[in-house]
Amino acid sequence: LQHPDISVTDNVLHFRAQGHGAKGDNIYEFEIEFLEPVEPNPVCRVTQRQLNITVQKKESNWWERLTKQEKRPLFLAPDFDRWLDESDAEMELKEKEEEKINKMKIESRVPKDPFRHLKKGYLVMYNLVQFLGFSWIFVNMTVRLFILGKDSFYDTFHTISDMMYFCETLALMEIVNSLIGLVKTPLIPAVLQVFGRIFILFVILGSLEEMQSKPVVFFIFYFWSIIELFRYPYYMLSCIGIEWKPLTWLRYTAWIPLYPLGGLAEAVSIIQSIPIFNETGKFSLELPNPLNVTIPFSFLLQISPIALVLVVFANCRYLYKQRKRHLGPKKRKMK
Amino acid sequence: FVSYQVEILDWKTKEQLCFLDKVEPNATIREIRLMFHKLYPRLYPARQSIKLDPKGKSLRDEEILQHLPVGTTATLYFKDLGPQIGWTTVFLIEYTGPLFIYFLFYFRMPFVYGLDERFTSSPHPVVNLACICHSFHYIKRLIETVFVHRFSHGTMPLRNIVKNCLYYWGFAAWLAYYINHPLYTPPSYGKKQINFAVVMFLLCEAGNFSIHVALSDLQRNGSKIRRIPYPTKNPFTWLFFFVSCPNYTYEVGTWISFTIMTQCVPVGLFTLLCFIQMTVWAKDKHCTYLREFKDYPSLRMPIIPFLL
Repeated sequence: LQHPDISVTDNVLHFRAQGHGAKGDNIYEFEIEFLEPVEPNPVCRVTQRQLNITVQKKESNWWERLTKQEKRPLFLAPDFDRWLDESDAEMELKEKEEEKINKMKIESRVPKDPFRHLKKGYLVMYNLVQFLGFSWIFVNMTVRLFILGKDSFYDTFHTISDMMYFCETLALMEIVNSLIGLVKTPLIPAVLQVFGRIFILFVILGSLEEMQSKPVVFFIFYFWSIIELFRYPYYMLSCIGIEWKPLTWLRYTAWIPLYPLGGLAEAVSIIQSIPIFNETGKFSLELPNPLNVTIPFSFLLQISPIALVLVVFANCRYLYKQRKRHLGPKKRKMK
Repeated sequence: FVSYQVEILDWKTKEQLCFLDKVEPNATIREIRLMFHKLYPRLYPARQSIKLDPKGKSLRDEEILQHLPVGTTATLYFKDLGPQIGWTTVFLIEYTGPLFIYFLFYFRMPFVYGLDERFTSSPHPVVNLACICHSFHYIKRLIETVFVHRFSHGTMPLRNIVKNCLYYWGFAAWLAYYINHPLYTPPSYGKKQINFAVVMFLLCEAGNFSIHVALSDLQRNGSKIRRIPYPTKNPFTWLFFFVSCPNYTYEVGTWISFTIMTQCVPVGLFTLLCFIQMTVWAKDKHCTYLREFKDYPSLRMPIIPFLL
């Protein structure tokens, strides 16, 4: 074999060489147009008896056939020693990809966050403080319920409100945590819950003396505190990486009766507050005023139970999805 | 010398919707869309999303068949984008609404403020000024839509127009109601506040217009190549040194000045929502610029110099 001229242009392999064959010295040449794009630099190795040309595919995938045209050139025959089945080819590809992924994991391992201990500590502290606060509320309310019975309903606000103000104001941090990405909870459920509760606590109950001695206050505070009794310890433990299965189950099941009941109590309180707001005209703004806007507070209050139902529904839907994620897979495994 | 065969499948059901025989290798996707349209007259080209992968991105009109990673029998997937409406049409409808809705309130149509106040006019000059500014803003936007803007996408889905119109028209009605109300209170700092606001308004409108003209010049000759916008001799375009989307910056400035001029909370709320929406758009554009151009100026922020 002499003067080999081998090149690939436009996915066509050109071969031309001078050789000594059975019929004497001749110039041999052929062309193969490949089915799909190939790399333009073929690798050639010449031995005594043969010439090996290796052409690389541009994209590593299975080809139905070698050439673009449908009829196989007569001089072309597959070497079954090197033949790779479609499934073999797939397996090869998969192995290569897995290797790549492992390499990437080792190479690009993000340098560990130097603040991660501080962040974890802060989250644990926050959840602990909230848990203590709501435990105090729950225990206090339960004890008073046993001692005073129904009478405890009427001055619940008077005894519990300071702690509740503190806890729900602190809960604003949950929105900040979600906003800056400290916590994986999505922003919208957190915002809806915290702002909803702050509205009930500060506007509906806090600003009207009359509302504060109504029994519905007891139920609102009780339902809120029971839910939080399960939520905060669960978060606390998951920050440290511990999972206590009964607690997980409680956290993702207790909301089923408690969220709708809590929502109901809140709606009742809104409806009870409407006549009082109408009388006093609080938070209502009429024209003329320097801000050139009107706040029809009474009207807004009357439609707010609808908003409340939507918020409760949205939160329930979110928790239902979370429940399937955290509790579902285990059930499948047991089957 | 080799002609292609193209089969087009539905992206969800994978049933074969059409089979095109003897397609030129250098056929563009636009030509394929036209061929598909001939078979399905209801599905005009703007409505067709043609892709290589059922879950992938839509192919552009300019893509050429033989340059795509397909064999001589190409399989493409089709998705119906729903009724489409052109961007120019959308903008014209979106912007004429607020213009005329404001007039309903300015001229105090009988059903708006009650029969006693019909067709009266306000004793405050600032109310007339506000009407002039508001109308000027939307007329300018209409002129830009017709003569200046060049849109990279031809169309958008029809249901978007309902959403957008509700938003623009609704807010226009809400703020016009309070500004033209018989019980309107003029700004607390009087003429100083109003004059300051007018100057700021004019500067921002001029700035916004300059940026739109500069951006449109970038794409002269109908070239679809994207280029980095740079400041020109016009001083208003010098904001390009600091910001990727100065048109949004100026727009927010216009609405802030209108809020100061009218001292009206609904206008302030509208300004806030505009600011949030434009920040989202600006960040998106900024990221696209950073991805496409390796030498993108590093001083630039998306919408507010040095801050956001």
